[in-house]
Amino acid sequence: MPVKNHVREARQAASLTQEALAAQVGVTRQSIIAIEQGKYGPSVKLALELAAALGVRVEDLFELEGGRERGSR
Amino acid sequence: MSGMRSYYISRIVVAVGFGALFFLGGAPWWQAALVALAVIAWFWWAPRSGRYQVNPELGMTPLRRDERSQGINDTAGRNAFIVVMLVTGATAVYAGLTGSTQVPVRALNWLLILGVVVYYGSDFWLRRRGR
Repeated sequence: MPVKNHVREARQAASLTQEALAAQVGVTRQSIIAIEQGKYGPSVKLALELAAALGVRVEDLFELEGGRERGSR
Repeated sequence: MSGMRSYYISRIVVAVGFGALFFLGGAPWWQAALVALAVIAWFWWAPRSGRYQVNPELGMTPLRRDERSQGINDTAGRNAFIVVMLVTGATAVYAGLTGSTQVPVRALNWLLILGVVVYYGSDFWLRRRGR
C-alpha cells in the first residue's frame, strides 16, 4: 500500500528550506526532494527524525494511502 | 565549501596519480592530462552534487552517503555484479560451443566497461525513477 506524506507542507509551515531540513536530519537535499515527491520511503529512524525536526508527530507526516481509520481493526 | 582544503589537496594528488598511471601505461601525455582533469572535475563536482552529505570536519574524507544513496549504491552494485557474471558465463558457454580454448584479454576489458556502465546506468535510473 503506497505511503502518502506531508513533509513538504510541514517543512513550509516550519519555514525551512529543503537544504536546512536535510542538514538537520543528516541526509542529502536530494533525499528530501525524493521523499517530498513520494519517490522514496524513508526508514523508520529517518521518519522519526523528520517528525522531530519539523515539530510534528510522525503519523501526521506519513499515512497509508487509502489506509484504515485510526483505531479500527 | 569552506574547510575543504584537505579534501581538495588530497584529491588533486589522487588525480595526478591517475594521470601518471595512464602516462606510465603508455598513453600520450595529453590523454593522461585529460584523465587527471576529468578526475579533478569529478572530485570538484561531488560535494556540490547533492548526492553526498558534506562534513568538512572529517578532513580528507568529508563525503558520506545517506541511507537513500547507500541503498541506490547497493542496488546498482548488485545489478552490475549480476550482469557481469551472466555475461561471463555466456562468454564461457559460447567459447565452449565454438571450440575456442582462449578468451582474448580484450573481452575482459569489455566486461569491466560493461560493469561500470551497468552500475552508473542503474544509479541514474534509480535516482530518477525513485527508490
